[in-house]
Amino acid sequence: MNRMIVIRGLTGLGLLLCLGAAHGFNLGQELRNAAEALQKPGKSAELGGYSEEEETAIGRQIAGSLLGAAPLVKDPQLQKYINNVGRWVASQSERPDLAWHFGVIESKDINAFAAPGGYIFVTRGLYQLLDNEAELAGVLAHEIGHVIRKHHLKILQQSKLVDLGGKLLAKQVGGDEKIHNLIGSGAEIVSRSLDKNAEFEADRIAVVLAARAGYDAFGLPEVLQEIGHSATGNSGSVALLFKTHPHPDERLSKLGDAVGSRFDGLKGLTLDNRFYRLKP
Amino acid sequence: MHSTRYLHILLAAVLLAAPIAHAGEGSAAVKADELKAEPFRDAKTVGKLTAGDKVEILKKDGGWFQVKSARGNGWVRMLSIRRGVSRKASTGSEIAGLAGLASGRAGTGRVVATTGIRGLNEEELKAAKYNETELKLAESSLTSRAEAKKFAAKGKLTARKLDYLPDPAEGEQP
Ligand SMILES: [Zn+2]
Repeated sequence: MNRMIVIRGLTGLGLLLCLGAAHGFNLGQELRNAAEALQKPGKSAELGGYSEEEETAIGRQIAGSLLGAAPLVKDPQLQKYINNVGRWVASQSERPDLAWHFGVIESKDINAFAAPGGYIFVTRGLYQLLDNEAELAGVLAHEIGHVIRKHHLKILQQSKLVDLGGKLLAKQVGGDEKIHNLIGSGAEIVSRSLDKNAEFEADRIAVVLAARAGYDAFGLPEVLQEIGHSATGNSGSVALLFKTHPHPDERLSKLGDAVGSRFDGLKGLTLDNRFYRLKP
Repeated sequence: MHSTRYLHILLAAVLLAAPIAHAGEGSAAVKADELKAEPFRDAKTVGKLTAGDKVEILKKDGGWFQVKSARGNGWVRMLSIRRGVSRKASTGSEIAGLAGLASGRAGTGRVVATTGIRGLNEEELKAAKYNETELKLAESSLTSRAEAKKFAAKGKLTARKLDYLPDPAEGEQP
Protein backbone atom coordinates (compact mmCIF):
# COMPACT_ATOMS: atom_id res chain seq x y z
CA MET A 1 0.00 0.00 0.00
CA ASN A 2 2.72 2.44 1.02
CA ARG A 3 4.85 1.28 -1.81
CA MET A 4 2.04 2.03 -4.17
CA ILE A 5 1.78 5.63 -3.01
CA VAL A 6 5.51 6.13 -3.40
CA ILE A 7 5.45 4.74 -6.92
CA ARG A 8 2.50 6.89 -7.88
CA GLY A 9 4.20 9.90 -6.36
CA LEU A 10 7.25 9.27 -8.49
CA THR A 11 5.15 8.90 -11.59
CA GLY A 12 3.61 12.25 -10.89
CA LEU A 13 7.00 13.82 -10.38
CA GLY A 14 8.13 12.36 -13.68
CA LEU A 15 5.29 14.12 -15.38
CA LEU A 16 6.11 17.42 -13.74
CA LEU A 17 9.73 17.22 -14.72
CA CYS A 18 8.88 16.11 -18.16
CA LEU A 19 6.41 18.87 -18.85
CA GLY A 20 8.70 21.47 -17.35
CA ALA A 21 11.69 20.38 -19.32
CA ALA A 22 9.90 19.88 -22.59
CA HIS A 23 8.46 23.32 -22.73
CA GLY A 24 10.78 25.38 -20.67
CA PHE A 25 8.05 27.60 -19.28
CA ASN A 26 8.56 28.94 -15.86
CA LEU A 27 6.42 27.07 -13.43
CA GLY A 28 8.56 28.25 -10.52
CA GLN A 29 6.12 29.50 -7.93
CA GLU A 30 3.25 27.36 -9.16
CA LEU A 31 5.37 24.25 -8.76
CA ARG A 32 6.35 25.25 -5.23
CA ASN A 33 2.71 25.82 -4.40
CA ALA A 34 1.78 22.50 -5.93
CA ALA A 35 4.54 20.76 -4.02
CA GLU A 36 3.29 22.34 -0.81
CA ALA A 37 -0.25 21.30 -1.55
CA LEU A 38 1.02 17.79 -2.09
CA GLN A 39 2.44 17.71 1.42
CA LYS A 40 -0.81 18.70 3.07
CA PRO A 41 -2.53 15.82 4.84
CA GLY A 42 -5.78 14.62 3.36
CA LYS A 43 -4.86 15.72 -0.13
CA SER A 44 -4.70 12.18 -1.45
CA ALA A 45 -8.26 11.60 -0.30
CA GLU A 46 -9.33 14.10 -2.93
CA LEU A 47 -8.15 11.93 -5.78
CA GLY A 48 -10.92 11.56 -8.28
CA GLY A 49 -12.65 14.47 -6.65
CA TYR A 50 -12.79 16.78 -9.62
CA SER A 51 -16.14 17.90 -10.89
CA GLU A 52 -17.33 16.55 -14.20
CA GLU A 53 -17.05 20.06 -15.61
CA GLU A 54 -13.39 20.32 -14.62
CA GLU A 55 -12.69 16.85 -15.94
CA THR A 56 -14.31 17.72 -19.27
CA ALA A 57 -12.33 20.97 -19.52
CA ILE A 58 -9.10 19.05 -19.03
CA GLY A 59 -10.21 16.40 -21.53
CA ARG A 60 -11.02 19.05 -24.13
CA GLN A 61 -7.55 20.55 -23.89
CA ILE A 62 -5.92 17.16 -24.32
CA ALA A 63 -8.26 16.08 -27.11
CA GLY A 64 -7.80 19.39 -28.94
CA SER A 65 -4.02 18.98 -28.80
CA LEU A 66 -4.19 15.39 -29.97
CA LEU A 67 -6.31 16.52 -32.92
CA GLY A 68 -3.70 19.18 -33.58
CA ALA A 69 -1.19 16.40 -34.10
CA ALA A 70 -3.53 14.11 -36.03
CA PRO A 71 -6.79 15.49 -37.47
CA LEU A 72 -10.01 13.56 -37.90
CA VAL A 73 -10.46 11.29 -40.90
CA LYS A 74 -12.78 13.39 -43.06
CA ASP A 75 -15.55 10.85 -43.35
CA PRO A 76 -18.68 11.99 -41.46
CA GLN A 77 -20.35 8.58 -41.82
CA LEU A 78 -17.37 6.87 -40.22
CA GLN A 79 -17.26 9.41 -37.39
CA LYS A 80 -20.97 9.01 -36.70
CA TYR A 81 -20.63 5.24 -36.79
CA ILE A 82 -17.83 5.15 -34.22
CA ASN A 83 -19.85 7.49 -31.98
CA ASN A 84 -22.86 5.18 -32.24
CA VAL A 85 -20.87 2.10 -31.27
CA GLY A 86 -18.87 3.92 -28.59
CA ARG A 87 -21.86 5.56 -26.94
CA TRP A 88 -23.74 2.26 -26.80
CA VAL A 89 -20.79 0.57 -25.09
CA ALA A 90 -20.24 3.51 -22.74
CA SER A 91 -23.94 3.35 -21.83
CA GLN A 92 -23.17 0.01 -20.16
CA SER A 93 -20.64 1.66 -17.82
CA GLU A 94 -21.21 3.47 -14.53
CA ARG A 95 -20.88 6.80 -16.38
CA PRO A 96 -23.55 6.45 -19.08
CA ASP A 97 -24.42 10.14 -19.09
CA LEU A 98 -20.99 11.60 -19.67
CA ALA A 99 -20.87 13.43 -23.03
CA TRP A 100 -18.83 10.69 -24.69
CA HIS A 101 -16.97 11.57 -27.88
CA PHE A 102 -15.28 9.17 -30.25
CA GLY A 103 -13.28 9.68 -33.42
CA VAL A 104 -10.96 8.13 -35.98
CA ILE A 105 -7.79 10.20 -36.55
CA GLU A 106 -5.37 10.36 -39.45
CA SER A 107 -2.38 8.28 -38.48
CA LYS A 108 -1.00 5.06 -39.91
CA ASP A 109 0.17 4.13 -36.44
CA ILE A 110 -1.76 1.44 -34.61
CA ASN A 111 -3.04 3.10 -31.47
CA ALA A 112 -5.99 4.42 -29.48
CA PHE A 113 -6.20 7.23 -26.98
CA ALA A 114 -8.42 8.25 -24.09
CA ALA A 115 -8.61 11.62 -22.39
CA PRO A 116 -10.57 12.53 -19.25
CA GLY A 117 -14.18 13.49 -19.73
CA GLY A 118 -14.80 10.78 -22.33
CA TYR A 119 -12.75 11.83 -25.37
CA ILE A 120 -11.63 8.69 -27.21
CA PHE A 121 -9.74 8.39 -30.49
CA VAL A 122 -8.65 5.46 -32.63
CA THR A 123 -6.05 5.83 -35.38
CA ARG A 124 -6.84 4.94 -38.96
CA GLY A 125 -4.07 2.33 -38.70
CA LEU A 126 -5.81 0.52 -35.85
CA TYR A 127 -9.27 0.92 -37.38
CA GLN A 128 -8.07 -0.80 -40.55
CA LEU A 129 -6.97 -3.82 -38.55
CA LEU A 130 -10.52 -4.37 -37.35
CA ASP A 131 -12.81 -6.93 -38.88
CA ASN A 132 -16.16 -6.39 -37.24
CA GLU A 133 -18.19 -4.18 -34.90
CA ALA A 134 -17.48 -6.32 -31.83
CA GLU A 135 -13.76 -5.69 -32.28
CA LEU A 136 -14.33 -1.95 -32.53
CA ALA A 137 -16.53 -2.17 -29.42
CA GLY A 138 -13.74 -4.02 -27.57
CA VAL A 139 -11.09 -1.45 -28.50
CA LEU A 140 -13.34 1.46 -27.48
CA ALA A 141 -14.33 -0.35 -24.28
CA HIS A 142 -10.67 -0.54 -23.21
CA GLU A 143 -10.40 3.23 -23.57
CA ILE A 144 -13.77 3.71 -21.83
CA GLY A 145 -12.26 1.67 -18.99
CA HIS A 146 -9.42 4.21 -18.65
CA VAL A 147 -11.94 7.06 -18.51
CA ILE A 148 -14.33 5.53 -15.95
CA ARG A 149 -11.43 4.55 -13.68
CA LYS A 150 -9.87 8.00 -14.26
CA HIS A 151 -6.47 6.53 -14.96
CA HIS A 152 -5.00 9.54 -16.78
CA LEU A 153 -6.76 12.02 -14.53
CA LYS A 154 -5.12 10.41 -11.52
CA ILE A 155 -1.66 10.89 -13.01
CA LEU A 156 -2.46 14.54 -13.63
CA GLN A 157 -3.96 14.96 -10.20
CA GLN A 158 -1.00 13.45 -8.48
CA SER A 159 1.28 15.79 -10.31
CA LYS A 160 -0.96 18.66 -9.20
CA LEU A 161 -0.56 20.14 -12.61
CA VAL A 162 -4.29 20.00 -12.98
CA ASP A 163 -4.81 22.37 -10.07
CA LEU A 164 -2.54 24.67 -11.90
CA GLY A 165 -4.17 23.94 -15.23
CA GLY A 166 -7.62 24.58 -13.85
CA LYS A 167 -6.56 27.92 -12.42
CA LEU A 168 -4.89 28.98 -15.59
CA LEU A 169 -7.70 27.75 -17.78
CA ALA A 170 -10.25 29.66 -15.78
CA LYS A 171 -8.52 32.90 -16.70
CA GLN A 172 -7.89 31.89 -20.23
CA VAL A 173 -9.58 32.88 -23.42
CA GLY A 174 -6.54 32.23 -25.55
CA GLY A 175 -3.22 33.69 -26.46
CA ASP A 176 -1.55 33.59 -23.07
CA GLU A 177 1.93 32.15 -23.35
CA LYS A 178 1.68 29.95 -20.27
CA ILE A 179 -1.66 28.57 -21.34
CA HIS A 180 -0.29 27.91 -24.74
CA ASN A 181 2.52 25.91 -23.27
CA LEU A 182 0.19 24.02 -21.01
CA ILE A 183 -2.16 23.24 -23.86
CA GLY A 184 0.74 22.29 -26.07
CA SER A 185 1.77 19.73 -23.52
CA GLY A 186 -1.76 18.44 -23.19
CA ALA A 187 -1.51 15.71 -25.78
CA GLU A 188 1.63 14.41 -24.17
CA ILE A 189 -0.37 12.81 -21.38
CA VAL A 190 -1.85 10.29 -23.83
CA SER A 191 1.66 9.17 -24.75
CA ARG A 192 2.50 8.41 -21.13
CA SER A 193 2.58 4.91 -19.78
CA LEU A 194 0.06 4.08 -17.14
CA ASP A 195 0.69 1.55 -14.45
CA LYS A 196 0.66 -1.93 -16.06
CA ASN A 197 -2.17 -2.88 -13.72
CA ALA A 198 -4.26 -0.01 -15.05
CA GLU A 199 -3.89 -1.53 -18.53
CA PHE A 200 -4.87 -5.00 -17.36
CA GLU A 201 -7.82 -3.47 -15.52
CA ALA A 202 -8.93 -1.65 -18.69
CA ASP A 203 -8.74 -4.96 -20.59
CA ARG A 204 -10.89 -6.72 -17.98
CA ILE A 205 -13.41 -3.87 -18.10
CA ALA A 206 -13.39 -3.95 -21.92
CA VAL A 207 -14.51 -7.55 -22.33
CA VAL A 208 -17.28 -7.04 -19.77
CA LEU A 209 -18.59 -3.79 -21.27
CA ALA A 210 -18.59 -5.30 -24.77
CA ALA A 211 -20.48 -8.34 -23.48
CA ARG A 212 -22.96 -6.16 -21.56
CA ALA A 213 -23.61 -4.29 -24.81
CA GLY A 214 -24.57 -7.59 -26.47
CA TYR A 215 -21.37 -8.03 -28.45
CA ASP A 216 -19.06 -11.02 -28.64
CA ALA A 217 -16.84 -10.39 -25.62
CA PHE A 218 -13.78 -11.62 -27.46
CA GLY A 219 -13.41 -8.75 -29.91
CA LEU A 220 -10.59 -7.10 -27.97
CA PRO A 221 -8.59 -10.35 -27.57
CA GLU A 222 -8.87 -10.87 -31.34
CA VAL A 223 -7.50 -7.40 -31.96
CA LEU A 224 -4.70 -7.93 -29.44
CA GLN A 225 -3.65 -11.08 -31.28
CA GLU A 226 -3.65 -9.13 -34.52
CA ILE A 227 -1.62 -6.28 -33.03
CA GLY A 228 0.90 -8.84 -31.81
CA HIS A 229 1.36 -9.95 -35.40
CA SER A 230 1.56 -6.40 -36.69
CA ALA A 231 4.65 -5.85 -34.59
CA THR A 232 6.68 -7.50 -37.29
CA GLY A 233 4.42 -6.62 -40.19
CA ASN A 234 4.29 -3.51 -42.29
CA SER A 235 0.77 -2.41 -41.50
CA GLY A 236 1.79 0.50 -39.32
CA SER A 237 3.91 1.47 -36.41
CA VAL A 238 3.20 0.06 -32.99
CA ALA A 239 6.18 1.79 -31.38
CA LEU A 240 4.21 4.19 -29.19
CA LEU A 241 1.55 1.61 -28.35
CA PHE A 242 4.21 -0.88 -27.26
CA LYS A 243 5.95 1.79 -25.24
CA THR A 244 2.79 2.74 -23.35
CA HIS A 245 1.19 -0.71 -23.01
CA PRO A 246 2.40 -4.16 -21.97
CA HIS A 247 2.97 -6.52 -24.93
CA PRO A 248 -0.27 -7.96 -26.36
CA ASP A 249 0.84 -11.48 -25.39
CA GLU A 250 1.16 -10.43 -21.77
CA ARG A 251 -2.21 -8.68 -21.88
CA LEU A 252 -3.83 -11.75 -23.42
CA SER A 253 -2.31 -13.99 -20.83
CA LYS A 254 -3.53 -11.78 -17.95
CA LEU A 255 -6.95 -11.56 -19.54
CA GLY A 256 -7.01 -15.34 -19.93
CA ASP A 257 -6.31 -15.73 -16.22
CA ALA A 258 -9.08 -13.27 -15.34
CA VAL A 259 -11.68 -14.74 -17.69
CA GLY A 260 -10.92 -18.41 -17.04
CA SER A 261 -14.14 -20.31 -17.62
CA ARG A 262 -16.39 -17.39 -16.64
CA PHE A 263 -17.44 -16.55 -20.21
CA ASP A 264 -17.80 -20.14 -21.42
CA GLY A 265 -21.50 -19.88 -22.13
CA LEU A 266 -21.46 -16.26 -23.23
CA LYS A 267 -22.44 -15.63 -26.84
CA GLY A 268 -22.68 -12.30 -28.53
CA LEU A 269 -22.90 -10.59 -31.90
CA THR A 270 -19.96 -9.57 -34.05
CA LEU A 271 -22.04 -7.68 -36.65
CA ASP A 272 -19.55 -8.20 -39.47
CA ASN A 273 -22.02 -6.93 -42.04
CA ARG A 274 -22.76 -3.66 -40.30
CA PHE A 275 -19.10 -2.86 -39.69
CA TYR A 276 -18.17 0.37 -41.49
CA ARG A 277 -15.17 -0.46 -43.62
CA LEU A 278 -12.63 2.16 -44.63
CA LYS A 279 -11.48 2.06 -48.22
CA PRO A 280 -7.91 0.77 -48.38
CA MET B 1 -2.24 -2.33 -69.79
CA HIS B 2 -0.55 -1.08 -66.68
CA SER B 3 -3.46 -2.16 -64.56
CA THR B 4 -3.21 -5.69 -65.92
CA ARG B 5 0.43 -5.86 -64.98
CA TYR B 6 -0.32 -4.61 -61.49
CA LEU B 7 -3.01 -7.20 -61.12
CA HIS B 8 -0.60 -9.92 -62.17
CA ILE B 9 2.00 -8.81 -59.69
CA LEU B 10 -0.61 -8.66 -56.97
CA LEU B 11 -2.00 -12.05 -57.84
CA ALA B 12 1.49 -13.47 -57.83
CA ALA B 13 2.04 -11.94 -54.39
CA VAL B 14 -1.20 -13.43 -53.14
CA LEU B 15 -0.39 -16.84 -54.56
CA LEU B 16 3.07 -16.75 -53.05
CA ALA B 17 1.71 -15.69 -49.69
CA ALA B 18 -1.00 -18.32 -49.58
CA PRO B 19 1.15 -21.45 -49.09
CA ILE B 20 3.10 -19.70 -46.34
CA ALA B 21 -0.10 -18.96 -44.50
CA HIS B 22 -1.12 -22.59 -44.69
CA ALA B 23 2.18 -24.24 -43.94
CA GLY B 24 3.08 -21.78 -41.24
CA GLU B 25 -0.10 -22.04 -39.18
CA GLY B 26 2.16 -22.08 -36.14
CA SER B 27 -0.68 -21.55 -33.66
CA ALA B 28 -0.12 -23.06 -30.27
CA ALA B 29 -1.58 -23.50 -26.81
CA VAL B 30 -0.17 -21.02 -24.31
CA LYS B 31 -1.53 -22.86 -21.32
CA ALA B 32 -2.97 -26.22 -20.41
CA ASP B 33 -6.65 -26.53 -21.26
CA GLU B 34 -9.22 -29.14 -22.17
CA LEU B 35 -10.39 -29.98 -25.67
CA LYS B 36 -14.16 -30.16 -25.79
CA ALA B 37 -16.46 -31.90 -28.24
CA GLU B 38 -18.60 -28.74 -28.45
CA PRO B 39 -17.94 -25.06 -27.67
CA PHE B 40 -19.47 -25.33 -24.19
CA ARG B 41 -18.07 -25.89 -20.71
CA ASP B 42 -20.30 -28.90 -20.08
CA ALA B 43 -19.45 -30.56 -23.37
CA LYS B 44 -17.58 -33.86 -23.33
CA THR B 45 -13.82 -33.54 -22.83
CA VAL B 46 -12.09 -35.19 -25.77
CA GLY B 47 -8.48 -34.37 -24.99
CA LYS B 48 -6.04 -32.17 -23.15
CA LEU B 49 -3.64 -29.56 -24.47
CA THR B 50 -0.50 -28.48 -22.69
CA ALA B 51 1.36 -25.22 -23.17
CA GLY B 52 3.35 -25.28 -26.38
CA ASP B 53 1.19 -27.83 -28.19
CA LYS B 54 0.83 -26.92 -31.87
CA VAL B 55 -2.72 -26.55 -33.12
CA GLU B 56 -4.45 -25.67 -36.35
CA ILE B 57 -7.39 -23.30 -35.93
CA LEU B 58 -10.38 -24.35 -38.03
CA LYS B 59 -13.18 -22.15 -36.76
CA LYS B 60 -14.15 -19.61 -34.13
CA ASP B 61 -17.34 -19.49 -32.09
CA GLY B 62 -17.50 -16.77 -29.47
CA GLY B 63 -14.70 -17.47 -27.02
CA TRP B 64 -13.89 -20.85 -28.52
CA PHE B 65 -11.57 -22.05 -31.27
CA GLN B 66 -12.16 -25.35 -33.05
CA VAL B 67 -8.69 -26.86 -33.46
CA LYS B 68 -6.86 -29.83 -34.90
CA SER B 69 -3.93 -31.08 -32.89
CA ALA B 70 -1.78 -34.13 -32.25
CA ARG B 71 -3.70 -34.56 -29.00
CA GLY B 72 -7.03 -34.62 -30.75
CA ASN B 73 -9.53 -32.36 -32.41
CA GLY B 74 -12.04 -30.27 -30.56
CA TRP B 75 -12.98 -26.90 -29.10
CA VAL B 76 -10.71 -24.95 -26.79
CA ARG B 77 -11.00 -21.52 -25.13
CA MET B 78 -9.52 -18.93 -27.48
CA LEU B 79 -7.57 -17.24 -24.69
CA SER B 80 -5.63 -20.49 -24.22
CA ILE B 81 -4.37 -20.26 -27.84
CA ARG B 82 -2.14 -17.84 -29.75
CA ARG B 83 -2.51 -17.55 -33.48
CA GLY B 84 0.74 -18.21 -35.33
CA VAL B 85 0.06 -15.84 -38.18
CA SER B 86 -2.04 -12.80 -38.82
CA ARG B 87 -5.60 -13.80 -39.74
CA LYS B 88 -5.36 -11.42 -42.69
CA ALA B 89 -2.75 -13.70 -44.22
CA SER B 90 -4.88 -16.80 -43.90
CA THR B 91 -8.28 -15.51 -44.96
CA GLY B 92 -9.75 -14.18 -48.17
CA SER B 93 -10.10 -10.62 -46.91
CA GLU B 94 -6.57 -9.70 -47.90
CA ILE B 95 -7.12 -10.93 -51.43
CA ALA B 96 -10.30 -8.89 -51.69
CA GLY B 97 -8.47 -5.90 -50.29
CA LEU B 98 -5.64 -6.21 -52.76
CA ALA B 99 -8.01 -6.66 -55.67
CA GLY B 100 -9.88 -3.54 -54.61
CA LEU B 101 -6.63 -1.65 -54.39
CA ALA B 102 -5.63 -2.89 -57.82
CA SER B 103 -8.75 -1.59 -59.51
CA GLY B 104 -8.38 1.68 -57.65
CA ARG B 105 -4.86 2.03 -58.92
CA ALA B 106 -5.89 1.31 -62.47
CA GLY B 107 -8.12 4.33 -62.46
CA THR B 108 -5.96 6.92 -60.77
CA GLY B 109 -2.47 5.69 -61.39
CA ARG B 110 -1.64 6.36 -57.76
CA VAL B 111 0.55 3.75 -56.21
CA VAL B 112 0.28 4.50 -52.51
CA ALA B 113 -3.13 5.49 -51.31
CA THR B 114 -1.98 6.52 -47.85
CA THR B 115 0.75 9.00 -48.80
CA GLY B 116 0.81 11.91 -46.41
CA ILE B 117 -0.62 10.05 -43.46
CA ARG B 118 1.99 10.15 -40.79
CA GLY B 119 2.73 8.15 -37.75
CA LEU B 120 2.17 9.61 -34.34
CA ASN B 121 5.10 9.63 -31.99
CA GLU B 122 5.85 11.19 -28.64
CA GLU B 123 7.70 14.14 -30.13
CA GLU B 124 4.75 15.00 -32.33
CA LEU B 125 2.39 14.77 -29.39
CA LYS B 126 4.59 17.05 -27.32
CA ALA B 127 4.76 19.59 -30.10
CA ALA B 128 1.05 19.36 -30.93
CA LYS B 129 -0.87 22.61 -31.26
CA TYR B 130 -4.37 22.73 -29.83
CA ASN B 131 -6.93 22.72 -32.65
CA GLU B 132 -10.32 24.01 -31.59
CA THR B 133 -11.83 23.59 -35.08
CA GLU B 134 -11.06 19.89 -35.21
CA LEU B 135 -12.28 19.45 -31.65
CA LYS B 136 -15.60 21.12 -32.47
CA LEU B 137 -15.87 18.90 -35.53
CA ALA B 138 -15.26 15.84 -33.37
CA GLU B 139 -17.88 17.00 -30.90
CA SER B 140 -20.41 17.55 -33.68
CA SER B 141 -20.68 13.77 -34.21
CA LEU B 142 -21.95 13.18 -30.69
CA THR B 143 -24.42 10.35 -30.31
CA SER B 144 -26.92 10.71 -27.49
CA ARG B 145 -27.70 7.84 -25.16
CA ALA B 146 -31.16 7.49 -26.73
CA GLU B 147 -29.71 7.50 -30.24
CA ALA B 148 -27.22 4.81 -29.22
CA LYS B 149 -30.06 2.67 -27.93
CA LYS B 150 -31.82 2.87 -31.29
CA PHE B 151 -28.58 2.04 -33.07
CA ALA B 152 -28.16 -1.02 -30.85
CA ALA B 153 -31.73 -2.16 -31.46
CA LYS B 154 -31.18 -1.92 -35.21
CA GLY B 155 -28.31 -4.35 -34.86
CA LYS B 156 -30.37 -6.60 -32.56
CA LEU B 157 -27.96 -5.94 -29.71
CA THR B 158 -29.51 -6.36 -26.30
CA ALA B 159 -27.96 -5.12 -23.07
CA ARG B 160 -27.36 -7.71 -20.37
CA LYS B 161 -26.12 -7.75 -16.82
CA LEU B 162 -22.62 -9.02 -16.15
CA ASP B 163 -20.28 -8.38 -13.23
CA TYR B 164 -16.83 -6.91 -13.71
CA LEU B 165 -14.03 -9.47 -13.61
CA PRO B 166 -12.06 -9.61 -10.37
CA ASP B 167 -8.31 -9.02 -10.58
CA PRO B 168 -6.73 -12.49 -10.35
CA ALA B 169 -3.60 -10.92 -8.84
CA GLU B 170 -5.60 -9.41 -5.98
CA GLY B 171 -4.69 -10.88 -2.61
CA GLU B 172 -1.34 -12.12 -3.84
CA GLN B 173 0.27 -8.76 -3.19
CA PRO B 174 1.89 -8.24 0.21
ZN1 LIG C 1 -4.69 1.37 -22.38
